[in-house]
Amino acid sequence: MVEILLLVPLITALLCAISRSERAIFVFSVAGSLITALVAIPYCYQAFFEGPVDTGLWYLDPLSGLFMVVIVVITALVSLYSVEYLKHDRTEGEINIKDLRYYHALLHLFAFSMLVVVVVDSLGLMWIAVEGTTLVSAFLVGFYKKSEAMEASWKYLIICSVGITLALLGIILLYASSVDALGANADTLDWSVLRSVAGQLDPALLKISFIFILVGLGTKAGLAPMHTWLPDAHSQAPTPISALLSAVLLNCAMYGVLRVHILANEAVPGFSSSLLIFFGLLSLAIATAFILTSRDVKRFLAFSSVEHMGIIALGFGIGGPLAVFGAVFHVLAHSLTKTLMFFGAGNVIQKYRTREMKDIKGLGRTMPTTAALLVLGGAAIAGSPPFAIFIGELFIISGALVQGDYLVAGLFIALLVIIFAGMTYRIFGMVSGKPQEGLPEGELGKLRLLPMLFLALAILGLGLFLPEVVSDALSAVVELFGVSA
Amino acid sequence: MVDLLSIDTINFLAAAILLVSLLVMASTRMGQLVRSFAIQSIMLAAISVVLAHYTGSEHIYIVAALTLVVKGIIIPRFLMYSIDRLKVHREIEPLVGIPASLLISGGLVIVAYYVTEPLISSAEAVTRNCLAISLAVVFIGMFMMISRRKAMTQMVGLLMMENGLFLGIISTTYGMPLIVEIGIFFDVFMAVLIMGIFAYRINQTFETLDTTFLRRLRG
Repeated sequence: MVEILLLVPLITALLCAISRSERAIFVFSVAGSLITALVAIPYCYQAFFEGPVDTGLWYLDPLSGLFMVVIVVITALVSLYSVEYLKHDRTEGEINIKDLRYYHALLHLFAFSMLVVVVVDSLGLMWIAVEGTTLVSAFLVGFYKKSEAMEASWKYLIICSVGITLALLGIILLYASSVDALGANADTLDWSVLRSVAGQLDPALLKISFIFILVGLGTKAGLAPMHTWLPDAHSQAPTPISALLSAVLLNCAMYGVLRVHILANEAVPGFSSSLLIFFGLLSLAIATAFILTSRDVKRFLAFSSVEHMGIIALGFGIGGPLAVFGAVFHVLAHSLTKTLMFFGAGNVIQKYRTREMKDIKGLGRTMPTTAALLVLGGAAIAGSPPFAIFIGELFIISGALVQGDYLVAGLFIALLVIIFAGMTYRIFGMVSGKPQEGLPEGELGKLRLLPMLFLALAILGLGLFLPEVVSDALSAVVELFGVSA
Repeated sequence: MVDLLSIDTINFLAAAILLVSLLVMASTRMGQLVRSFAIQSIMLAAISVVLAHYTGSEHIYIVAALTLVVKGIIIPRFLMYSIDRLKVHREIEPLVGIPASLLISGGLVIVAYYVTEPLISSAEAVTRNCLAISLAVVFIGMFMMISRRKAMTQMVGLLMMENGLFLGIISTTYGMPLIVEIGIFFDVFMAVLIMGIFAYRINQTFETLDTTFLRRLRG
């Protein structure tokens, strides 16, 4: 029963909204997210290894399974990390108990809306859920109610709403393209049905439809040049929420693009792939420029998300078993690594009370554990071996070479090298040097190091040895794209 | 037997919807803007009724009723209420002058016809103009969001984009699955409500609804 999976976060949100004490809110929030993860795992297992779960309204195949794993794992870690983060905000007097309730209720509603995106069969309902994620998370972006936060959330709301409106136009055209194949009375936007007739969809309509969906959902996925809301929203949101936006929300939008890409690739081979490659490389190039110049640590990480969404789009665009496997793996690797980085940045920001990278010096002395984890995560996010992101990028590059896309591979490698240099320079700049006078030494709390440690081990483990169950699951996803690993 | 009267009515109403969009680009007052949006929504409801009659698909009647109630009455009322409540200045203050705006809008209509041309040649009589017009209304709504500086005008621009989309939905596909359509209405309604809340907060923090002040985050 998929309904149970969706009910858990809803009930959690409700419990958080009515709890009286701080402690109760935290307990409900963490327990709720852990239960969601526990309930989700059997479904994912079934989707990966026993064929799709199809109950009409709900449809879970390996692709949904992959994104579902990302959603539940990251949400659980974020709710655990939020405990001490918000406690700190509260002792600083920035928020009160009412804000605390509001934050946790919205957090779980946000998780709920993202889960709906990946489990519904109908692309129309998926559209509704994607719009739902924007509406809920806008409140989280504007959580601190300062003028900058207001500005960021207004931009987020407006830009993503326009994007999603264009995506709706794409879905209408997709529906129109299926009328010939399914008959006018079929009355369905179910992906599983559309997939079965993908070869007979009207190619002219499908092409325009994919363009609108790519631009529309690409806005939310943070693909350049529609990414302009992303650095603002990520820098103004509370840091655990930035992690959730970066690691999960962007992926959910990408999930929608991929669903239509699978259909389009069957009806008009090559068309959607070349668009994905184009937007992927453009995102990489634009992100490179901003990674080198941004001053705010969270904006810096946000542009790194633009970069990685570009890499994922590129991998799926190149196609072929190697590159698609790389892209699927990269979805997982990027989510875990980026969450680690945002958690680390959250510790630093609360300690130094600034987001300006030039004012953050000497992390190695003030908070050694965070510094060590940040160096590890920084090396990983820049793409150095032996971490997971390196493996993903390696698969994509070798996929491009096998396909003979030498130009794409060359550009990709060149941009990665520049990003690597910029990233490591920036992160080591924060870790080394002398901290400012009068800054007390020591970490802000142990509970927030726990999820970071878990993430660090995960990205190292995935990079060094790929467990068989993971690689089997990922191969099942790859098969959906019409290539087998 | 093709029902010529229905087709003529649909084409007439679609043209009228496009004209209202152009009228909005020429208006200088907030009240006029919201009223134009209400009129456009009512015309959209009328088109839905004619289409429902023409195609015989009953669930389009429900869409028509929802359009009339949600977009023709509730949302305009809410917008008028917010304008009064927030004491928004009545002038629109365009960033692009009105003659230039109209010229660009005219250009956008041509673009819309150009883009849909390959699709139109194979389409049925009803959808021929509607698809191009719906795209034109979407483009003009988007241009309005870019060229007008108040938070309220951005909201109306978005709503007009959505009107254009609905014209597309009902004319090209004779309606999507009903549950999807109802969901879309719910989402639009929630989006307007939430944007209203944010407009209120922006007004409180900045003491203005002029979005050109929202230029601090960059780099």
